[in-house]
Amino acid sequence: MPDVAIVGMSVLLPGAPDLQTYWRNLVTGVDAITDVPEHRWDPAYYDPAGSARADRLYCRRGGFVDEYADVDPTRFGIMPNSVAGAEPDQLIAMRVAASAIADAGGDDRMPARDRIGVILGRGGYLTPGVVRLDQRVRTAVQLVRTLGELVPGIGDAELERVRAAFTEQLGPEQPESAIGLVPNLAASRVANRLDLRGPAYTVDAACASSLIAVDHAVHELTSGRCDVVLAGGVHHCHDITFWSVFTQLRALSTSQRIRPFHRDADGILIGEGTGVVVLKRLADAERDGDRIYAVVRGTGVASDGRSASLFNPDPGGQVLAVRKAWAAAGLDPSEDGSVGLLEAHGTATPAGDAAELSTLATVFGGPKRRHAVIGSVKSMIGHTMPAAGIAGLVKAALAVHHGVLLPTLHCDDPNPALAATRFRPIDTAEAWTDTVRRAGVNAFGFGGINAHVVLEQAPAPKPAPATITVTEPAKVLRIAANTPDELLRRLKDGRNHEVGRLRLAIVEPTPKKTALAEKVIAKGVPWRGRSNVWFSPEPLLRGNAGIAFVFPGLEADFDPRVDDVADHFGLIRRTVGNGDLGRHGMSVLGVGRLLDGALRRMGIVPTALAGHSIGEWTAMSVSGMFSDRAVEDQLAAFDPTSVEVPGVEFATIGCGVDRVAAAIADRPDIVLSHDNSPNQTIVCGPPDEIAELVAEFRKGAVISQVLPFRSGFHTPMLKPFLEPFVELADRLDMGRPALPIWSATTASPYPTDPDGIRDLYIRHLIEPVRFRATVRAMHESGIRVFVQVGAGQLGSLIDDTLKGADHLTVAANSTHRGGVEQLRLVAAALWVEGASPDFSVVEPTRQPVTLQLGSPLVSVDTTISTGPSRLDTLTADFPIAAELEALLRETAESAAQVMAARQRPSVRSLTKRMTISTDVMPFLLDHCFAPQREGWPDLADRRPVVPGTTLIQLMMDAAEEAAPGLKAVRVHDVKLLRWLIGAPATDVTITAEPIGPDRVRVAVGDHSQATVELTPDWAPRPQSAWSVAASARSTPDMTAREFYERRVMFHGPALQGITALTSVGTHHVSGVITTPDVPGGLLDNVGQLLGYWIWVTQTEKRIAFPVQMGRIEFFGPHPAPGTPVDCLIKVVDVSERLYQVDAQLTVNGVVWAEITDWRDRRFDSHMDLDEAWRFPERNALSQRQPGGWVAVAERWPDLASRELYLSKYLSGRERACYDQLPPRNRRHWLLGRIAVKDAVRNLLWDNGSGPVFPAEVLVSDTADGRVTVAGNNGFPLPEVSVSLAHKDELGVAIARFGRAPVSIAIDAPSTDGRRRAVVSNPADLPARQYVVAWTAGPADQEDE
Amino acid sequence: MTTTEASRDVVFAEIAGMLRTVLAELGVDDVEIDEGTSFNEDLELESIDLVTLTALISERWGEPVNLAEFLADKDLDEVIALKVGDLVDFVVTALARAGG
Repeated sequence: MPDVAIVGMSVLLPGAPDLQTYWRNLVTGVDAITDVPEHRWDPAYYDPAGSARADRLYCRRGGFVDEYADVDPTRFGIMPNSVAGAEPDQLIAMRVAASAIADAGGDDRMPARDRIGVILGRGGYLTPGVVRLDQRVRTAVQLVRTLGELVPGIGDAELERVRAAFTEQLGPEQPESAIGLVPNLAASRVANRLDLRGPAYTVDAACASSLIAVDHAVHELTSGRCDVVLAGGVHHCHDITFWSVFTQLRALSTSQRIRPFHRDADGILIGEGTGVVVLKRLADAERDGDRIYAVVRGTGVASDGRSASLFNPDPGGQVLAVRKAWAAAGLDPSEDGSVGLLEAHGTATPAGDAAELSTLATVFGGPKRRHAVIGSVKSMIGHTMPAAGIAGLVKAALAVHHGVLLPTLHCDDPNPALAATRFRPIDTAEAWTDTVRRAGVNAFGFGGINAHVVLEQAPAPKPAPATITVTEPAKVLRIAANTPDELLRRLKDGRNHEVGRLRLAIVEPTPKKTALAEKVIAKGVPWRGRSNVWFSPEPLLRGNAGIAFVFPGLEADFDPRVDDVADHFGLIRRTVGNGDLGRHGMSVLGVGRLLDGALRRMGIVPTALAGHSIGEWTAMSVSGMFSDRAVEDQLAAFDPTSVEVPGVEFATIGCGVDRVAAAIADRPDIVLSHDNSPNQTIVCGPPDEIAELVAEFRKGAVISQVLPFRSGFHTPMLKPFLEPFVELADRLDMGRPALPIWSATTASPYPTDPDGIRDLYIRHLIEPVRFRATVRAMHESGIRVFVQVGAGQLGSLIDDTLKGADHLTVAANSTHRGGVEQLRLVAAALWVEGASPDFSVVEPTRQPVTLQLGSPLVSVDTTISTGPSRLDTLTADFPIAAELEALLRETAESAAQVMAARQRPSVRSLTKRMTISTDVMPFLLDHCFAPQREGWPDLADRRPVVPGTTLIQLMMDAAEEAAPGLKAVRVHDVKLLRWLIGAPATDVTITAEPIGPDRVRVAVGDHSQATVELTPDWAPRPQSAWSVAASARSTPDMTAREFYERRVMFHGPALQGITALTSVGTHHVSGVITTPDVPGGLLDNVGQLLGYWIWVTQTEKRIAFPVQMGRIEFFGPHPAPGTPVDCLIKVVDVSERLYQVDAQLTVNGVVWAEITDWRDRRFDSHMDLDEAWRFPERNALSQRQPGGWVAVAERWPDLASRELYLSKYLSGRERACYDQLPPRNRRHWLLGRIAVKDAVRNLLWDNGSGPVFPAEVLVSDTADGRVTVAGNNGFPLPEVSVSLAHKDELGVAIARFGRAPVSIAIDAPSTDGRRRAVVSNPADLPARQYVVAWTAGPADQEDE
Repeated sequence: MTTTEASRDVVFAEIAGMLRTVLAELGVDDVEIDEGTSFNEDLELESIDLVTLTALISERWGEPVNLAEFLADKDLDEVIALKVGDLVDFVVTALARAGG
């Protein structure tokens, strides 16, 4: 048969939540057997001294996974509240299968979905979900039936109360999850949630199930029906019935120890677990470059046939199965050295072990020259039944892969029958030095079904290790103190202590590292990272000392480890490739940006930036010099193949620049391209001359190397190829960087004016990189910490340059460890130097829901009345008296209810006045339509608007005030009518008028109105949270943080509640809102989440605000600030005018609120205006025109939309002018103001100015009909002459420095000698052309 | 000099000393160096450290032992896989050639 490769694996087994831990446990021999947890079965069943009875157990030890049994349901698109109703093993299977796929390289490495199958071994036992259903529908009824029979006086109502109290303990009924109890769903749910479209089914062959699943999988692959199959087994049943079966069979160990192949083995202990392997044809796996754990050479399956007993194993069937597998492998098992490791079934029952050893002696023959190791993982985790085969297979595959023979526990006195075999058990791990590592795995099931698998090492196996070690995830010990003695003392305690001047950090502390740390502290010298120990007697980051992010350029060995970083921080994964120069460059840039984002999230923020070679571009891109989006868009359009200069090569020379300069003095074709450090210099020139130079240096014992790039960067050779770079610079609108960026061309910070930046950008391409001088200058300027933000060896150049000077260099990425792990080291390194990184963000994050694996006995939280009743004495004679008593009780209950209802408080009218201002509501400052410069004195210019949802909250508060004792549970017919602006302060009247026993009509001035419904109690919560089909869900293209950073929504920090965007589709969006501490803030974030959906799906009229809501219903008190709330919005309709949606908010899977018919009004807007809308200080609504003037088209025909743009542009004084104009004049007046402001702002930007807000340029009319401009509120505006004109949908303006008048006109007679051009309306406006005439300015003269 | 076991031990000890210099140990002896120690994986040496090491070796043994030329023949993967023992072999052989 064609060989099949194991390319991915995962498990959840006792003591092991994942594959890595399983491996560690296997190597170190961890005994994961414990007492049964109480909730799995009731301790009352355990009665070792009691009589033999089906419900009296003499054994209570086994293997359990409770502490690891959780799933993160949202990861699989499962609503958290449906977890309780599902069979836990299905969810575990899903989690393990997903991890196995991830282990195989993730979805990207999977073939087409219809070529992937999933086959899982699973028995039809009483699993917890089934038991809970049984308790609900049978036990509950049985209970009250029996109770009724025993206590005849109990009325039906009382019995029903008992039944209800009993079933209540089982959780809410979930009819929709009943399907979850069908056994095959263990496989089908995996297929469904992971979208696998090949065959998906379970097989049941008792303890042989998993290996038979593997056998099926192999056939699916070799027949070509599938390209990948997930195979494995699932068993999570510790039901009392299951234990009872093994108790009655006396198969459980009486000594309560599981000791496979021990002389005195006396039975099994029951385990549980799940394991999944990802199988693929070997040839495909080799073709795809997969990591291959082991190759499945053969599988064999056979039954005992007619033999002595159904329960006692028979060697005949076993022998047949093992032989079939070896025959399929084309190997002779009896040959010496055929097998190195035999993972036995090893149940540790006397009969089982005896039969298995007899089988092994028969098939493999007696003792051979070369011993083989026998073992069984059951000694560590118990017998995992249908999952036993996969636990053994994964163990054997790991052993084959790592070249380690694994120990078996508790076999100090081996079974004498082993002497007749070639096998021996071992109690500690040994290196597996066979030339070909081959293993066999047994799994034999009740009823006589037997399976065997032959595994062999991959064609290119890892060598067997010299020493056997396993790694643990890094943990960072952080200790601070004010004296060395104190530090030493705290180090002995081994606990984190974070306050003090001297700091020590140890990653993954071990006794050896602690001893090293002690020595280092005693010496009192800094220790920066060797052996993962950091110590600083005098932290570097004090006073003005700074941190620099330094971005690497191209290096020959580029192997970043960043995928885990992207996943961990929810950032976009970056493609990593170095196939060609351009792509390599893009990858370097992407990795730098990704790590920059991750570091900032850890609270590690630079004070300066620098880059080596093209790393300078990464520095620019993270500096805020251009927007993230611009970088993404422009780089996507950049042609990588355009950057190769023919006929030149680089060489690294391992010595300083002076020596190199002397050597190339007489070689005019070779130039210096990089002065990297005192011991590294790079030169560039024709290949033959470079080769000669390299040889010469090597001869002088100077390490020299030709580099694999031919870009010619940083040399004059690039000059003829500059065009694409210049074009790129033109496309990237360069603004002022937020931080100093050091140029390695000048060894000083970049200039801040756009022209200066551009010039230097070009010089950087054709002049040498002076990295050494730059690093020195940075150090002199006070930079003490250099973080290498990328992969590679750039840091070593910094160390070489700063040798002997106080500094820290640390790499944010390393080939030596995982990406997140390396970031943890960075945090440790910086913490020691006085920084305060947030270590918590580099800890593993998950939002798991714990699975209830048990089905414990139910305790009822009620009592039945058994006290004597005066009717009791009569019941014997008059049965009717019993019924009468029950009737009386029911009547009393109903009467109490009715009377309670009567006592309802009354609702009254209410009128109150309230002041709305930014003092009363400081959060309004985070809800401003018009951003303004920091410290801008006119608050009104910011337009702080009361959120519509705050108005709703005010209305609910008023309604509750009008109806003391009642809760506002529903809000109907919300209308949000007019903006309520909080500056200047204003008073509003709030009125509440009862319109029914439980309804109040409320209004806030003429701004909003609604009807609020009030009741004493919350309405019952809806049974289920909404969900969205997996196929409709896609992953949001940005993180919540980016959502705000890019100002997709204008909200400031107080209202920024969205902390995760989880899914988006054509008709839905979902996210997590962390409840803000702002009235109405939670619902405001629903609107923001809708804003994200609009941003993603719509291309026009993207600006929208809520105007109306049909109904908002609350099912509980408002979540406290800080509570994470899941929000799912379903989009019902999108029309020209409105977005109409429904929304549901849940807390921990429990529905808190539902909103029906939320309507957002769409405002006129256009993608072209998007940047100016979000960042008006850096972008203009007008377009620049050749010749140095601007034109703005009116894209806001309706008044409400115009109002939005107006508020972004006009200062208070200008707004007052606008308000006084006759309405028909307002439109053009505004167009003119926008154009002038943009003309002036463009002029400033062109001359190096930073951000300028529109309101900073004050436009005034003079008496003679001209317009003038002045700086507003102290904005330093030089003398500028302006002119404007407008017609129909067009406004134009021109601005020039100085006093000389300028003019611009539309459709003026062509007699005045001005320059002219024709402009047209954009396509979305009425088709119109205009002739614009303007006075020529300096720009025109340049053109001419 | 001849390539007896004794001289090999001396070479190893000297190279280990040089590596400690390169690693800037500051008198705290924490790095275990034996012949199986890998430059890349165990010591995390980078290319610039090899430059320093080359200089130290030249200083000690002069022209006959040219690490730069030794490394020149190796590709990146081979350099990454390099162990202390390989370097000892090389030095011992180069010295033998020079002496013999």
